[in-house]
Amino acid sequence: MKSWITLKDSSAGHWALRVVGTVLIGGLLLWIPTKGSNGLITSATEAFTLMIAAMSLNLLLGYTGQISIGHSAFYGIGAYATGYAVSEWGWSPWWTFPFAFLVSFIVGVLVSFPASRIKGVYLALVTLALALVFPQLLRWQKLTWLTGGSLGLPQKDAQVDSTGFNIGRKEGQLQHYEIFGWDPFGDLRALDGKTPFFYWIAFIIVVAVYLVCRGVVKSRAGRSMVAVRDNETAAAVMGVNLVATKAFVFGISAGLCALAGSVAAIRLEKVSPDSTNLQIIGAITFLIIMVIGGAGSLWGPIIGAALFVFVSDRTGTWADEEAIPALLRPLFGWSKVPPGTGIFAVVLIVLMFVAPRGIAGLWRQHTPRLVRVLPKPAGTTSLAAPSTATLQRQSSTTTQNEGENS
Amino acid sequence: MELFLQRLFDGLSQGSVYALLALGLVIIYRGTGHLNFAQGEMALFAAYCVYQLGEWGVPIYISVFIGMAIGFAVGAVSEVTLVRPLGKKSPFAVFIATIALFQGLNWLDGAIWGDQVLPNSGVGSTQQTYPSLFPDDPDDFIEIFGAAIRIESLGVLLLVLAITGLLFLVFNKTRFGLAMRAVASNTDSAKLVGIRTNTVLMASWGIAAALGALGGVVFAGINNAVSLGLMFTVFIYASAAATLGGFDSPGGAVIGGLTIGVIENLSAGYFPEWIGQEMKLAVAFIVIVVVLLFKPSGLFGTEKVERV
Repeated sequence: MKSWITLKDSSAGHWALRVVGTVLIGGLLLWIPTKGSNGLITSATEAFTLMIAAMSLNLLLGYTGQISIGHSAFYGIGAYATGYAVSEWGWSPWWTFPFAFLVSFIVGVLVSFPASRIKGVYLALVTLALALVFPQLLRWQKLTWLTGGSLGLPQKDAQVDSTGFNIGRKEGQLQHYEIFGWDPFGDLRALDGKTPFFYWIAFIIVVAVYLVCRGVVKSRAGRSMVAVRDNETAAAVMGVNLVATKAFVFGISAGLCALAGSVAAIRLEKVSPDSTNLQIIGAITFLIIMVIGGAGSLWGPIIGAALFVFVSDRTGTWADEEAIPALLRPLFGWSKVPPGTGIFAVVLIVLMFVAPRGIAGLWRQHTPRLVRVLPKPAGTTSLAAPSTATLQRQSSTTTQNEGENS
Repeated sequence: MELFLQRLFDGLSQGSVYALLALGLVIIYRGTGHLNFAQGEMALFAAYCVYQLGEWGVPIYISVFIGMAIGFAVGAVSEVTLVRPLGKKSPFAVFIATIALFQGLNWLDGAIWGDQVLPNSGVGSTQQTYPSLFPDDPDDFIEIFGAAIRIESLGVLLLVLAITGLLFLVFNKTRFGLAMRAVASNTDSAKLVGIRTNTVLMASWGIAAALGALGGVVFAGINNAVSLGLMFTVFIYASAAATLGGFDSPGGAVIGGLTIGVIENLSAGYFPEWIGQEMKLAVAFIVIVVVLLFKPSGLFGTEKVERV
């Protein structure tokens, strides 16, 4: 395949490409909370939440091949762990992130033991059932002391009143949002400070989750995971410990997904079994995001979530025919509900035909026509290789590796 | 005793709906080896169509057949356009396609009929309740051993048993049934002996979806209304039934369906504190997990041998 521009790894041109990529993405990330409207910031924060959930699912499904349509349950565990710790024990919300991760990690590991005996599409069935049972479990009267029943948390008689869920709000003052006593915004944004604050919190978690996923995937565990995905029996023969690998992946995946629930819980200041992402719809959303973005690629869920939120926001009001742009009105005007889910169903089917590896896969396939970065010959890279690989470099080198393999 | 009989019959009539959907799952699984996650939503689409036909004044005895025909078409078209080409790529692609169908059909129902519970006089429904195949007024019951059994429950149960009997005749006594069994046992060999495997597979998906459609219409009739979330849980119960009976055993699916229906209703009735209406679904969940863990082939299925 001939490409327009060919660059050597770490050459001046390659660095320029990296800088441009970083500036573009970084600029967008800074522009949204500083110049964007509150609605836009909220949407971006929701996209971050979905990114976290989809990245966690990606570890399990994209890399290990264990189908789960039940990640809404782990999301819910995170949300409820946070909700309970804050409203019943009066914890600072920041300590609930590790707590939610830990609780969900343990649940994930426990789930992995039966799950590793159930294979393929049966696992999908079990997790689908779990996703439907989970909200019912939250409403179960025997668990009301823990979950607050169908009203959710914080409970009416919580030790901390419902405003205790508001992070760092000081009585009689402007709202403050602080991290372990450090107040990053001061009174600068005054009443308006909440949305950008949570934007950054969610962003930090996204970066952390991305780094964890990247670390896991590029480690020995990651290679075991891919081996399990490609051929479980062969992997076992080659010495991969199936039970340990699956327990690890289920745990990490569940724990990371719980972080998404945590972020949502402290942002919305309440959790209830009626939240969309806690239902089966949530689990399917995570799945769709991951598959559209690209299963088995680190950037896939990020692209997918951004696209998903963009499209759902744009089409959210389209149940009303007047809100649809005139050009698209004949296409969607008849629909009584917003066409978002329908659009995604069609996109999903089309992608399965043309690009089973999602948008990230398409990107890898087609960007080398434009720019190709030649990797250094094996063995010449120094150990201190740049870790801030940009999208371009990563994608194009992987294509080459794939090309060599096939 | 009366209460027990009543719950038993309620369970059996609900169980027969699960049995219909489970039969569909099993037929598809035997034919193409896929689990059709859109089974419930295909049924729901047909149920909505029957509602619409009812609005236009078509009597239920005719519209149920039209609904089944629509179900057949949806199933057959999905097989030809999605499952067959994607099946050549990977099972995962088919799985995603069934999820997309699940999502897409559910959206389509909402897009056409809106997201409120129907029939609803607020949006101009002329029908009072969803059309039922059997008399379902409050006083339509017969007494058996002192228990008041609703005619609807009894009718649904008998209907499903009749359909199952018919299917067994088709499977075991006709050329088409023989072809279906041949395809299920080995598609390549079946092709070699001259069976049109593509037609058979298309018809399997069609029949499966038509059975589901009947199940959807009957369930909406029992429920007196149709709504977007109606089939989510029914699908889970049906999968539990198919799992319990064994994914490759049609007879097992029927027995599994009836069993799940009865277990569900009895446990909800006798343990209102612990299970009640909310946790009924958990019973199905536990059945699925326990069966898959300890006897993955189900009660009547054949064990699967894995090749490396």
